[in-house]
Amino acid sequence: MTLKNKRILIAKPGLDGHDVGAKIIALALRDAGADVIYTGLRKSPDYIARVAVEEDVHCVGLSVLSGSHIELLKQTLAELKDADAADMQVFIGGTIPPDDRDTLIQLGASAVFTAEMKIDDVVQAIVDSLKDQS
Amino acid sequence: MTQRPLAGNNVIDRRGLGRMLSRIMNASVDEALIGLVDSSDRTARRVGFTGAPGAGKSTLISRYAKGCLEQGNKTGILAIDPTSPVSGGALLGDRIRMDAVADDARLFIRSVPSRNAHDGLCDNAPDLLLAMEQFGFDDIVLETVGVGQVEYSVKTLVDTLVLVLMPESGDAIQAMKAGILESADIIVINKADLPGAERSHAEISVILGHRPRTADTWSTQLIMASDIDGRGIGQLSDTIIQHRAWLSTHRDHDDMRRKRRAYHLHSLIARRVHEVMHQMGDDIINQDLVGAFRQLASLVAPVDRG
Amino acid sequence: MAQTTPAGDQDNSAPPPVTPKIGTRLRSGIEIPTVVTADMAPDRSDDRPGEYPFTRGVFDTGYTGRLWTIRQYSGFGTAEETNERYHFLLDGGQTGLSVALDLPTQCGYDPVDPMARSEVGKVGVSLFSLAEAEILFDGIDLGAISTSFTINGTAAIIYAMYLAAADRKGVPREKLTGTIQNDILKEYVARGTWIFPVKPSMRLIADSIVYSVEQTPRFNPISIAGAHVRDAGATAVEEMAYTLANGLAYVEELRKRGSDVARFAARLSFFFYVHMDLFEEACKFRAGRRLWAKLLRERFGVEDEKALRFRFGVVCGGSSLTAGQPYNNIVRVGIENLAAVLGGAQSIFTCAYDEAFQIPTEFSAEIALRTQQIVAYESGVARTVDPLGGSHFVEWLTDKMEQEILTVMDEIDDYGGVIKAIEDGFLQTRIARRARERKQATDDQERVVVGENFFTREDQKPDYGEVFKVNPKAADAIMQKYEDLKQRRDDSAVEVSLARLQQAAAGESENIMPYLVECCHAYATVGEMVATMKKEWGEFQEPVRF
Repeated sequence: MTLKNKRILIAKPGLDGHDVGAKIIALALRDAGADVIYTGLRKSPDYIARVAVEEDVHCVGLSVLSGSHIELLKQTLAELKDADAADMQVFIGGTIPPDDRDTLIQLGASAVFTAEMKIDDVVQAIVDSLKDQS
Repeated sequence: MTQRPLAGNNVIDRRGLGRMLSRIMNASVDEALIGLVDSSDRTARRVGFTGAPGAGKSTLISRYAKGCLEQGNKTGILAIDPTSPVSGGALLGDRIRMDAVADDARLFIRSVPSRNAHDGLCDNAPDLLLAMEQFGFDDIVLETVGVGQVEYSVKTLVDTLVLVLMPESGDAIQAMKAGILESADIIVINKADLPGAERSHAEISVILGHRPRTADTWSTQLIMASDIDGRGIGQLSDTIIQHRAWLSTHRDHDDMRRKRRAYHLHSLIARRVHEVMHQMGDDIINQDLVGAFRQLASLVAPVDRG
Repeated sequence: MAQTTPAGDQDNSAPPPVTPKIGTRLRSGIEIPTVVTADMAPDRSDDRPGEYPFTRGVFDTGYTGRLWTIRQYSGFGTAEETNERYHFLLDGGQTGLSVALDLPTQCGYDPVDPMARSEVGKVGVSLFSLAEAEILFDGIDLGAISTSFTINGTAAIIYAMYLAAADRKGVPREKLTGTIQNDILKEYVARGTWIFPVKPSMRLIADSIVYSVEQTPRFNPISIAGAHVRDAGATAVEEMAYTLANGLAYVEELRKRGSDVARFAARLSFFFYVHMDLFEEACKFRAGRRLWAKLLRERFGVEDEKALRFRFGVVCGGSSLTAGQPYNNIVRVGIENLAAVLGGAQSIFTCAYDEAFQIPTEFSAEIALRTQQIVAYESGVARTVDPLGGSHFVEWLTDKMEQEILTVMDEIDDYGGVIKAIEDGFLQTRIARRARERKQATDDQERVVVGENFFTREDQKPDYGEVFKVNPKAADAIMQKYEDLKQRRDDSAVEVSLARLQQAAAGESENIMPYLVECCHAYATVGEMVATMKKEWGEFQEPVRF
């Protein structure tokens, strides 16, 4: 399973300060062959969109553990659309109650990941969803 | 931090440039030759920053870029990070350190992994730079990693090469051994607030003092810089400008173009060889060496598209 | 290392359940012997609780003299809603308040700031001005109830707000008890609610400690917390090592200001997580007590025994809890509660079984509270001080942990000290690596997490029962309150107080606290005070390293 030549942005939108999950995923994606950019903490959705576009990433991963996942996903998708990057996939991970999963997918998230999922499964899911993207 | 492009001349088509750079990055040699931008009618001032990780290049670059932006210049940064030889992936972390300081609609930062390049640059580096010039950047900064053979290649592709060292890190000795001090136009001793800065300055001055100088050589300038008290940044920008002025009267532009062309050619051929060997796998290797060489040479030529 | 041993013969029915082995190696790297005999253990028969170096406890009266504070972390939405929950908890038998603040308040943004909008009132209560604090404590006697604030970047401001609230209620400052966490060093490394760069943040902390010793002598102005690095992935040994290192850095900051270290040391307290390994946890605390006392004496020459007491609060749960089969977490928290008591904690917060994933409901919060009451009154472990003392295993493990903790502290010293390690991202990298190891070990089934990687049911889904929903109107209500406040307050008084604050921040000689209190009384907002200080001090630039 490889993400060779795939570019992925891992971002921390909003004020949530828990970055360990994001770092673990970033490292795992790098180890699977991807070029990964991790934004660090406290970034606004429009900053995230700007970086995504400059770096022309295949997908953006948002990590949110503050409960604001729905708003932040919405805002990020809107900013990407504004930046002419509506085609970029956005996945989201964090403390996401089961009830919110469907909402996030309907809003446009390509996948929802939570802490108990195995790292390998998360990476595989990303590999699968990027398979058809050049 | 809103990055709405400004109206008028300063608009950067970020999506377009982002995609173009991806195409170029991923282009095979055949593809690169087809879409080749051999030269650009627009040129930018190119500055290269090199030095070991941890020396603080990113902060220096972002401050330098800020200075360029304050002059109203469209500024592009190409930050090269090493590809992991184990996984083939890369953590492209430098840009995040840079864009905290300069938040501007005329700034564009792109991270590139080194991939198959072993000279500290990246695949298709000359093409990436030319593409950025086509997009109208006034200033381009190229950041590489390492203190090693890197410097020859970077030196070819940029106008001014800045080497960033840490005090007492042993970089100076390594640099001296590898002959790098020779290629740098400007040497910055960064984090000069740390102990050992004065001593590093003295050591390097001595080494530089021993170099033969004529009226026609640029003598490498040595600068002390520090984030803590902000010293050195203005001096760095000024020195780069001085070097640029010196270049305009002393540099042989034809020679520069030839060298760049030679590097471009060389890097295309080297990548082509790599591509072919990768495709052919063991078939080529299992022949005798002369036979392998002949077969490889014949496959290196681009596919005839008629 | 857990190995799997399939039981029974092969046949064509469902595969037999795997039976893991009990691993002998702690995550901190310590190998636990199956038998510990007297000759393996040090002779600690002279140790006494309440006597240096306090391995057995800081007080010889134990819990029969005074039970640990049952302090459940709580807060959400508007101050009115949180006030209601506080009354519920106090009526239910909780003995101290622990205030959870929302991220905008923690990070210094007003509710209307674009960075803050989606986070208003979510993970805690919005306390953007004194007006909200007055509502929060409505009907609560601040002179009688101890209040703990988990607040760091804006700790000095919230402390000032607390004082202003007490002033308004006519409660004398000398009667106030409680804590502000006020531990910025760990924020940079594991929790992320930093605001200013390291140097001005250390100044703010020193100012608040010095002021507090004068004004609120019964209040703990700092709770040096290892909890968050632990929850982020550090081992128990590292948790204690980083915490003690941070503690010494704060003491050093106070010493540099010419303060009498002994006087301030007495008011420092600590905060840790308790995870599942009961003996590792209890011994971690015993080793911590011993080390803190020794280090303060050796490095700072503190002789007064009152100043050497390592007092600490704990939280049971966090990342040791699972989303899968969540009711198991009630058992986990019970065991962790035991460990905390056996370790001699002064204050305990037990997570609700769903706490790692959402704000607890009244139902789950009540169980968490009852857990402590059952341990306190039914289990008998609280009757005698340090009941584990003298056990061969416990004394052996306490010594082992002390050694390992010192080793990590030496590594940090060799690097150049804890502040350099933080500014360079050295600690952050270590923590990220440990987190990865922990996750990988769970994924690879090298460690057992019941209901998550072993003993799972097919198709199991997380089921929290009742889901707590933050009132969706809360954010709007808070915005409205913010606008109302700006309408009715005296703008010129606010301006004057902020200008004076800025001046104090620009200089280095004055204590900032009185200026913050003045700003609070004028109903300046948290965002305004922070923006004012940012003008002088700038913002912290995160070294993104891992």
